[in-house]
Order: sequence, then structure tokens, then C-alpha cells
Amino acid sequence: MKRVLLATVACGLAGGAALLADAAVGRWFQDVTQEAGVNQKHTNRSFDNPYAKIMAGYTALGASASVADYDGDGYDDVFVTDSKLGGKNHLYHNNHNFTFTDVADQAGVADDNDDQNATADSLWFDYNNDGRPDLFVVRFGHSKLYENLGGGKFVDVTKKAGLDRYSNAITAIAFDYDRDGQLDLFVGSYFQPINIFKPDSPRFFPENFETANNGGGVTVYHNNGNGTFTDVTAKVGVALSGWTLDMGHGDMDNDGFDDFYVACDFGTDHLFHNNGNGTFTDITEKAIGFDTKKGMNVDWGDYDNDGLLDIYVTNITDDYMREGNFLWHNNGNLTFTDVSRETGTAETGWGWGAKFFDFDNDGWLDLYVVNGWVSAGKESYVPDIFSMIVKPGIDLADARNWPPMGNKSLSGYEKKKLFHNEHGQSFRDVAAQHGVDSTRDGRGVAVADFDNDGRLDLFVANANSEPYLYRNTMPAGPHWVQFSLEGTKSNRAAVGAQVRLTAGGMTRLQFISGGNSFAGQSSNRIHFGLGESSKIDRVEVRWPTGQREVFSGLVADKLQKIVEGKGTKTK
Amino acid sequence: MSRRTFACLAARLFPVCLLLASPMTGADDAFDKAERALASKDFDSALGSFEEALTADPDNLRNASEYRQATIQKAIAGHPKEGSPADFDREIAFFGKLTEANPKASNAFLNYGFSYVDKIPAAGSITQVILANNALGYFTKSIELKSTWIALYTRGNSYLYWPRIFGRAPLALDDLEKAYAMQKAEGKKSYHVRVYISLGDAYWKTDNLDKARAIWKEGAAQFPDSTPLKDRLARDGDALKDYIDNVLDPNKRVDTNLRELWMTQ
Repeated sequence: MKRVLLATVACGLAGGAALLADAAVGRWFQDVTQEAGVNQKHTNRSFDNPYAKIMAGYTALGASASVADYDGDGYDDVFVTDSKLGGKNHLYHNNHNFTFTDVADQAGVADDNDDQNATADSLWFDYNNDGRPDLFVVRFGHSKLYENLGGGKFVDVTKKAGLDRYSNAITAIAFDYDRDGQLDLFVGSYFQPINIFKPDSPRFFPENFETANNGGGVTVYHNNGNGTFTDVTAKVGVALSGWTLDMGHGDMDNDGFDDFYVACDFGTDHLFHNNGNGTFTDITEKAIGFDTKKGMNVDWGDYDNDGLLDIYVTNITDDYMREGNFLWHNNGNLTFTDVSRETGTAETGWGWGAKFFDFDNDGWLDLYVVNGWVSAGKESYVPDIFSMIVKPGIDLADARNWPPMGNKSLSGYEKKKLFHNEHGQSFRDVAAQHGVDSTRDGRGVAVADFDNDGRLDLFVANANSEPYLYRNTMPAGPHWVQFSLEGTKSNRAAVGAQVRLTAGGMTRLQFISGGNSFAGQSSNRIHFGLGESSKIDRVEVRWPTGQREVFSGLVADKLQKIVEGKGTKTK
Repeated sequence: MSRRTFACLAARLFPVCLLLASPMTGADDAFDKAERALASKDFDSALGSFEEALTADPDNLRNASEYRQATIQKAIAGHPKEGSPADFDREIAFFGKLTEANPKASNAFLNYGFSYVDKIPAAGSITQVILANNALGYFTKSIELKSTWIALYTRGNSYLYWPRIFGRAPLALDDLEKAYAMQKAEGKKSYHVRVYISLGDAYWKTDNLDKARAIWKEGAAQFPDSTPLKDRLARDGDALKDYIDNVLDPNKRVDTNLRELWMTQ
């Protein structure tokens, strides 16, 4: 009997190993963009002003994808932006069979590109804590807040919420920085708040390439809990005027208060430590040092499973500009060390959105990075730009001094990178193997399990091009678990909640982000790859309020809902 | 042996050192003072004394080179990695004034160019381009005043750091072939290995791999212990490209120490 049992166990283990071995080869992502019905093209905004030809080279932006289950049907949907004049944004409702229906018009969120506004990004966040994700459409112009009324309907509440102002906004995140149970809004702007559609001065370009401080900076809006917001930027200690491209939040020192990182084009990134009293301290110099790079993306994740959140920032690395990205390894003492070179994640061309996610469910966070600025004609724009740069005494802030790009390319046709995490030590690019190495000008990455099969899929927003929806078709084998969290005392979407899961002798950390990574918002579900472990030993949830709950006996390969203070429910 | 005596002895042994030998006692005294200050890590005093030595003897290659190395030492001691960009502004300003006051001093212009090169790894990627471009301008001025082996090698090597798209590799080839011809006419010197390396890189960068390998092989025959030559000859295709790209990474400090010119043969 004992021998039979041993043989059975051995066969089981061997079978599991074989499945994992199968999963180690093959192409695991399938481009399903067309058949899924999400193939509407993004088009860059063309301007109609004296600087239009010059601006065209620097505004190839606005393609984004943001994921949320806006109708609470248990399947993640995705909002995808366009930027051209009159171009419609798309709210792709998930039909539960890996097809989607664009319901933006019916929902009232399609028409946000007019002659005074161009959509740049979007963010789902539950601003009124009613359990329904609301939609913030980030625009060059006046950004818009749509309240989700339920039943597939949205209404513009921007003015009522106190958010109606002109800014050349390009990114937004939402998290509860003061732990009052409400999601606060952080808006990053690229250009300073001049009317970019009809500028009254030509001096609105970056004053230099490495320390420019004439950009749009960051605006912090405190959520008053009554449907309105107050600009508290100065009060909380966030005084920035750089060319913000992205922001990301995470709790760098595990003190229960989320900190945040600002990636700036043309200059220094900034890292703000949350003082726990409703203010922040800029700790850039001590924590990461002053850089001169072109920061494009911020994502936080514990890539080495040491219990501390690390940060990935893309920059520009081409043969004419060898900046290298940052993989900021968290040293645990409010300082970080860039290990991008050591880990093989430094060079991704003209980097844009990048996202940590465990695509093969092995328990280690992998990384997908999109890139490419302008893919046009064969002629390169590089000599033009460098001819300008070396002109003595040139006034770079004056747009008229910048050469028009015309049909030239700049860091175009770059291959995307899918970095497989090699046990927290290094990363290996497997993008070509898995069919996700396209050469379109990528901007945003959104990660979600659109068919609830435990395998994370990818939505990629491309500038001036169709997006990609990649379905993860990895063979069955590695185990996983997903958690949908609902706050009761904490903000209802549980943004900022950390989950520590122990299985197979390893503890992993994940958290719910409020829109981290450039031009992409991923699912707010927590997803853990468990590898060969079908048993979960322990799950600890640290809610945004700071309260901790520990669970045991949870089952693998399921989506489970956890409500703050009320236990779990397997779906 | 005082530095002046050493320099004079070296000058007899080694023609390039004629550029270094100077009858100016004041300059040598200031140089010796600078060296003593440097030994005790008194960087500010050292830099001041080097400047005094150079003001007295503006075309002195040795004094200029040691001044720049002291600047680099101070920068690295004061800031992590490669120093702060501002650490190099003093020497740039000094060479600016020195060349303005001595418009015929070819070595001063050469070192003016080097002072921009020294700043490159501490600077951001766009500033690197501006600095490299400035350096090229002063290397050219130096060559216009006196077309020496070191100036031609330096400018030719600098062109190699520019991405292919700027079309500067053929210019590198031109300078390095001239430096190669000079050293062939001169007699073997240890530093000549540098031209073999760079000239091969210039051939490689102008898509003439056969000529690149030929010159690297010729260099390896002359300098069989040269690791850079062995490394290049051991690689091909992408591995060779990766190797050379890595060597020519502007974020890495270029060794602009000219001591080899007078310390070895």
C-alpha cells in the first residue's frame, strides 16, 4: 500500500514536472486584436498653429489603455484612447469570450478629442467610493472626470468635482496618500499650462535636455470625500516643474504610507517619501541621486521577492543616446541602487510603458517593455536634432529653433522586450519567442486576465497605429491565485493594499496600484503565480488603513474575493 | 632626479618628449609643488600650482596632462562614480583663458579638447554630444597649429565615438591613417599600439572588416601582449560589434592620461 502511494505521488510529481517542462517552450502569446474587436487605430493629434510642423515630432503621444471591470460583471474591460481631432475613445466591454464591444458612445465617454483638447491617457478610480470605477480622461487641455452611474452610463462631473482647469496633462494616478479612506488624484503634466493648441509664445519647449524645469510638473488633488477635490500640491510638499511623463506609487519602506516616484523627460526624476502626516519629502538626492535622463515610465514591483518594492523606469538607449533604464533595487533604507545593467534590463531603445507581471506563473515578476518614438521614413532625424544641439547659445525653449521632423524616423521600428525573470537575479528577453516583439511605436501596457483563466494577457497601446491584444496561451501547469480586494474602512478599491503570499517556501509581495506605468492601467486584481505549489500556506493582507489580516487554507487556481474585516469568498 | 632632469633625459631618448622638456624653472617648481600637494590630496593647492606651471609654460604637454588628471582625481574623490559635471568647469575655463592668451600653443589646444572629453562621463547624454563636439573643435585647432601623432590619434579616436549616422568614421580613418604613417616612419613606441587598435576600429566602423582584421593582426604581431587587440581578433559578427560598442560607450571614462608618452618607449 505504502509503495503504491509513493508511486502515485512520484507519478504526480513527474506529471507536474512534465507540464512545467512543456510550458518552458513554445509561443505563449497570441495576437487576437482583430478577432477580439479591439483594433481601432490611434492617431496622433495634428496641430493647427505656427509651430505645428515642429510640434508634430514631439507630440506622438496619447495612445493608452486602462483596465477595469467597470460594470462589475467579473470580467475586466478596457478603455482605449485616441488623440486625433474628432477621434473617438473606446470603451471595450468584455463579452466574456475574448471578444469586446465598443460601448463608449452609449456610455457617454467617447467624445473627448476636440479643437481645444486632445486625449493623452486615462485612469479608472473610484472617486466617490461607491464601488464603481469612475473614469478620469487625461487630456492636453481640460481633463475630464466621469462618474460611473452604473448600468453602463457615465456623467461628466469635472466641474462639480473642482477639477476643471487647463493643463497639458499626460498621466494620472490615484492613491490614498493620507489614509483617510478616499482616493486622491495625482496629475502629471508635460508642457507648462500654456494653451498648446494656440500658444501665445514660441517659448514652450524644454529649456534644455537634461535639467529642464519649464514643464508642467505634478498637481496633487486631495479627495474631500464629498465628491470634490482640493489642489494641495504646495501643502503636501510636491513642488515640481519638470516635464512629467509618468508617476508611480508604492510603499518603499513598508511603513503603511505610499510613497511616489515621478519620471521626467528632459531631466531629473523625483522620489517622494510619505511622511505619514499628509505631506511628502523629496528624497531624490539621497535615495537615487539626480539624473539627467529621459524618464518615461514608472512601475513598482518586488522583482527579487525580498519583501521590498523595487522600481523600473524606462529612459532612452540608442546608439546616439546611451542612457540606459533604471531598475532601482530597494536597499531597504530609503535608498535604491540601479541594477539595470547587472540584470539585463538597461537597454530597451526609446522606452515607454513597462509593466511587471508574472506571465508564466512561476512566482517571479517578469517585465514587458514597449518602445519606439517615431517610425516613419528611412531617413533619420538624429542628425537634425544634433545639429541643433551643438549650436552655441541656442535657445531650446523656443520651438522655432527645433527642426521639423517631417517624414523622418527617430528611434523607430524598435522591438519590444519581454523580460523573463531568472529567479530575481537577471532577466532574459523572450519577446521574439512569445510573439510579442512587434515594431510599432508602443506607448502603454495594460495587464489583465481578460478570460479569467489564470494567465495574464497583455493590451498594448501603440501611437499612430492599431493596438495589440495578446492572449496568454501558456500550456496548463503552473498554479496561480488571484485576489479581488474590497476595502471597508480603507478606500473601497483597496488601492495601496499589500498582499504577502507564502507558498512552496517562498513569500511574494504584490500590491494594488492606482494606475502605475505609462499610458497603461492594469487590472486591480492581485495575481500570484505559484509555480508547482498547489498549496497556499499563508496570505497576509495589509489594508491601506494599515490593518492586517492573515488567511490560511486558501485554494490555488481560483479568483478569491477578500473584503476588509469580513474574510474571503472563492469565485 | 628632479622632474625637469627626467624630462630632459626623456627628451633625448624620445622625440615626443621634446614637447615636454622646458627650460622654465618657474614652471617646474610649480609643477613639483603641485605634485606634492596632489600626493597629500590637497587638490585645490595642486590645481592652483598646475595652473601656475601651465601659465609659465603653456605648451607643456606633461603639465597639462597631469593637471587634468588631478582634476579627475578631485572630481571622483568628491562625487560618486565619475564626478559632477561642474567639477570639470575649472579646467575648461582655465584652458579657455590659456589658449586665448597663447593662440599658437598647439598642446594647450589639445588639452583644452581633452578637458571636454574628461567631463563627458560625468555629463548627461545630450551634454556629452555638445562636449564631444567642442573637444573635436579644439583637437582640430591643435592639428592646424601642429600636426602631431598624438593630436591626429586623439582626434581620429574621438571621431570613433560618434554613432555611425553622423558619418564621422571616415574622418577617423583619415586621421588614424596619418598617425599610422607617422609612427611607421618613427620607430616602435609602446603607445603605437593605440593606433593599431583605433585604426582597426575605424576600418570596422566603415564596414571594411578585412582591413580591420589586417591592421589588428599587424598590431598584434608588434604588440603580442595587447589584450584589446587579442579581444578584437577573437571576436566576429555581433560579438565584435558588442565588444566595440562597449569600448566606445561614452559613459565610460576615456583614459586621457598622456603619461605614457614620456614614461615609456
